[in-house]
Amino acid sequence: MRGARAAPGLCLRLLRRPPRGSGGPLAGTYPTPLPYATCLYSTHAAEAVLEKAGAGTASPTVSKTKSLLGESKSFAMGMFQGRMTTEQVFPYPSVLTEEQGQFLKELVGPVSRFFQEVNDPAANDSLERVEDRTMQGLKELGAFGLQIPPELGGLGLSNTQYARLVEIVGLHDLGVGITLGAHQSIGFKGLLLYGTPQQKEKYLPRLATGETIAAFCLTEPASGSDAASIRTTARPSPCGAYYTLDGGKIWISNGGLADLFTVFAKTPVKNEATGEAKEKVTAFIVERAFGGVTHGPPEKKMGIKASNTAEVHFEGVRVPAANVLGPPGAGFKVAMNVLNSGRFGMAAALAGTMRGVIGKAVEHAASRTQFGDKIHNFGAIQEKLARMAMLHYVTESMAYMISANMDQGAADFQTEAAISKIFGSEAAWTVTDECIQIMGGMGFMQDAGVERVMRDLRIFRIFEGTNDILRLFVALNGFQNAGNQLRRLQQALKSPVGNVGLLAQEATRRLRRKAGWGSGITLRDVVHPDLDPSAEQLVRGVDLFGATVEELLLKYGKKIVDEQFVLKRVADGAIDLYAMVVLLSRASRSLAQAQPTAQHEKLLCETWCEEAYERLTATLSPLSSDGARHTFRQLRSISRAVVESGGVVSPNPLGF
Amino acid sequence: MNCVRKLLRARGLSAGRGILRQAAPGRARPWLQGSSCAQCVWPVPARRIRSSAALSRSELVPTARGDKEKDRGFRDGSLVPFDELFERAHEGDRTKAAFSRAVELFCQRDVRRRGHVEFINAALRKMPEFGVERDLDVYNKILDVFPKEVFVARNFIQRMFNHYPRQQECGIQVLEQMENYGIMPNKQTKFLLLQIFGEKSHPVRKYQRLMYWFPKFKHVNPYPVPAALPRDPVDLARISLQRIAADLSATVTVYQRPLTDISDAGKEITQPHIVGIQSPDQQELLARHNPARPVFVEGPFPLWLKKTCVYYYILRGEPLPPEEKEEVIDSERNLYYPMHLDLDLDRGLWDDEEFYVDEVVEGPISAMCMAGAGDQATLAKWILGLQQTNPILSQTPVVFHLTPGPREFQVASDSESGEEEIPQSWRMKQEL
Repeated sequence: MRGARAAPGLCLRLLRRPPRGSGGPLAGTYPTPLPYATCLYSTHAAEAVLEKAGAGTASPTVSKTKSLLGESKSFAMGMFQGRMTTEQVFPYPSVLTEEQGQFLKELVGPVSRFFQEVNDPAANDSLERVEDRTMQGLKELGAFGLQIPPELGGLGLSNTQYARLVEIVGLHDLGVGITLGAHQSIGFKGLLLYGTPQQKEKYLPRLATGETIAAFCLTEPASGSDAASIRTTARPSPCGAYYTLDGGKIWISNGGLADLFTVFAKTPVKNEATGEAKEKVTAFIVERAFGGVTHGPPEKKMGIKASNTAEVHFEGVRVPAANVLGPPGAGFKVAMNVLNSGRFGMAAALAGTMRGVIGKAVEHAASRTQFGDKIHNFGAIQEKLARMAMLHYVTESMAYMISANMDQGAADFQTEAAISKIFGSEAAWTVTDECIQIMGGMGFMQDAGVERVMRDLRIFRIFEGTNDILRLFVALNGFQNAGNQLRRLQQALKSPVGNVGLLAQEATRRLRRKAGWGSGITLRDVVHPDLDPSAEQLVRGVDLFGATVEELLLKYGKKIVDEQFVLKRVADGAIDLYAMVVLLSRASRSLAQAQPTAQHEKLLCETWCEEAYERLTATLSPLSSDGARHTFRQLRSISRAVVESGGVVSPNPLGF
Repeated sequence: MNCVRKLLRARGLSAGRGILRQAAPGRARPWLQGSSCAQCVWPVPARRIRSSAALSRSELVPTARGDKEKDRGFRDGSLVPFDELFERAHEGDRTKAAFSRAVELFCQRDVRRRGHVEFINAALRKMPEFGVERDLDVYNKILDVFPKEVFVARNFIQRMFNHYPRQQECGIQVLEQMENYGIMPNKQTKFLLLQIFGEKSHPVRKYQRLMYWFPKFKHVNPYPVPAALPRDPVDLARISLQRIAADLSATVTVYQRPLTDISDAGKEITQPHIVGIQSPDQQELLARHNPARPVFVEGPFPLWLKKTCVYYYILRGEPLPPEEKEEVIDSERNLYYPMHLDLDLDRGLWDDEEFYVDEVVEGPISAMCMAGAGDQATLAKWILGLQQTNPILSQTPVVFHLTPGPREFQVASDSESGEEEIPQSWRMKQEL
């Protein structure tokens, strides 16, 4: 992580940049632009570390401050402080062991074939359920227990392996994807994360074969994201042996199919310290067989029709105390972690969808002739195709970066996962939209199969936390982190003697920022030299972002929570920056490994970084000015006026 | 040449004074007859002569005046004569024109402007009576009374010592009064002062100091009270309430306009004005009020706007019990994003921008009003009007805690500020 941070002194930088051509042990430059030895990249990273140790005086201070600050290793968190925390993102992680890779390769073929030959997405869509033979086939493939450990009957896939398979599902049929996702990504994820060994042994084998299907029951008519308004209750029996569950949940995916539910209900929990009883949310594993569980008819939906969505009602359901998931009263945490750890799969699935849709668009663009020319030769179409390719590349890179980070055991991936969900769902929507646009009238017809994808995609911007709410999460989580950092700095200021290193470092950072020199961070050690201009844009972006965040934090303090206009823009900035770093990392790897597509990836990365940097400056620079505040005020008053008049305020220009 | 001529003129003036003095014993001096000091003058001629030099200036006034007209006030030895001048000048209403007339009268009476120091002192005293205390023209006119170029120091000794101290002091007095009323001198003032006292004299220095500080202080008050307060009580109440509320989003509501009408039965009906103010924050706070607890109408409390005192009433709740004071946001409330950030950043010693606020335990104030009458019936109408925007008030008991304050205050303020000078000064300003 420190490999990327420049020491304040100029001499150190000079030290680090060895003269070209001198092949000393510390000379860590790429000798020539092309060609590369495959292993160069990794050795280079090692050298970078070596070099740092060789730099002498600076490193002890740096490592000391690091431990003192207790920083998060997440890049997304770091950039809110204007830092480059490169440990998780550079180099682009490859976590699969040879064995895992082999196993995955063996799986990819049959699964792809299955979706091409057996599954019929159009039929699923019109039937509004997944065809029985498809369900049967999926169960036989083991698709219902991808991440359940092998000893309990599952495939025991890592997150990365899981992402790869989900991508295939997303490529072909999102309706089936939701059925599978609601089952394993959230349905019994709680059991995997928080279940006791007994609970796991009891339920997981049945779930792995698909004999039992699971559902995640959180949403209620009055409670979307507000845990305080959950109305479902679970009263403990006097003997303490069971809970009586009452209440109703709505819009439950797999609600009509599932036999096992993860249910969140309010229970009275006694505070050990004060003896006060307080209503808290607790998670339960509820079997349909307990009795009292009913479900409504399948909902009529815009998309993902193949999946089953229904209301689920619990009336006097007796749930044994042994079925409490996690400690009583910890339901909130369970729900949050389940949602957080399920998100990365969405980006992977959407990357698959985009791949498929882009394929269709390209096929059309390459074959359709108008005015005596193939339409892919027209600039309008070229721009669309190029942007589609970039969006796909970003989403895919994010999905695998995050799944790999999770496999590496990273604890801080929530912000990145949220970013990938926001980005993926919006990118997929844009890509599909543009695909239909390229295909013209053809795309609008059901036969082309893209309108179904479009309908299916719409929900991804809404469920598991709407994108608007997740943007708030991204921004606020970052602000909290940056605030903690500032507070640590303040504490350090109180005893300056013991924290000379940290204070000097922070002071240099701020002085440099004030002087307009940038933070002096360099990514030379981790980014391929061909991508230097893009890396420079990223560095400047992070500088600007960190400075803006700090300024906003000092300006609004705690009240930043209420500034949603600002938060949205900060989140957009964070998303763009994370996309940039992910692309730089992936394109660097491709270039270093001299992959055949490396030059194309470089092109994608450079183009994206240029545009993202411009977008970033355009969004962030006005935030601290009065101009932006003026705009926000105007937007607010327009909205108020529209609400007050119950619709559009202005009359028809004809006057009647 | 010019200065030599002036020097001669000045000599002549003082010589004339001496002549006057010396001539005095020989003359009939009818104005001295009957005065108690007449006898004591004669036995000590030596002393009289000596005093003629020392006292010449102070005694100049009655003497000089005595030449032309016999003022009744002289016998008291006071400066009343000049007051008389003003009394006679106004003949009706006291206005700027009358004041100017008095000044002109004095100037025309004597080319040498004898007794100008006393006249100026009297004029300064009379200014508020005529409502011209904030009129720069009048100040310039007063300065114009000084004889020109007589008091300008001509050599270094004069410059070193206090040349014509009484005149210089008087000049300073004029500037000081301007300062007290916040009147900024203009170019004409400077020109006059230079003409009268010359460069580096005390009054000119005073002028320079004024011109240094006044522009600096001119806009120091970010919330200036308008120079002319509105006469309409509703407008006055609006301004005052907005001043107290200090909340731009607060809305002023006129619940009742002042009205005097004769009913069919011939009875006179007067309807006092009621003007209230409430901010959205206050409305929200009141909406969360527990209807079981009463709210209080309290007042009247005074608010001074320059010389005008207005009274306001507040609608206040009880101090909140500690458990209801702060709404604690449950950290496990929102599934997707934190509703509350834990960001208690200390401020550095050097950037403590907050004022020290002594927090007194006080209930939340939900609204304020000003009314033409402080009785309960009028204030109840206000509460009734508030109910339309704050439905909770209809379920909440309202207790009136009214003190019979305003009348006492009114008396006190009357005796303090004296006479009817306040309305008059308003009128003057409105004329301007």
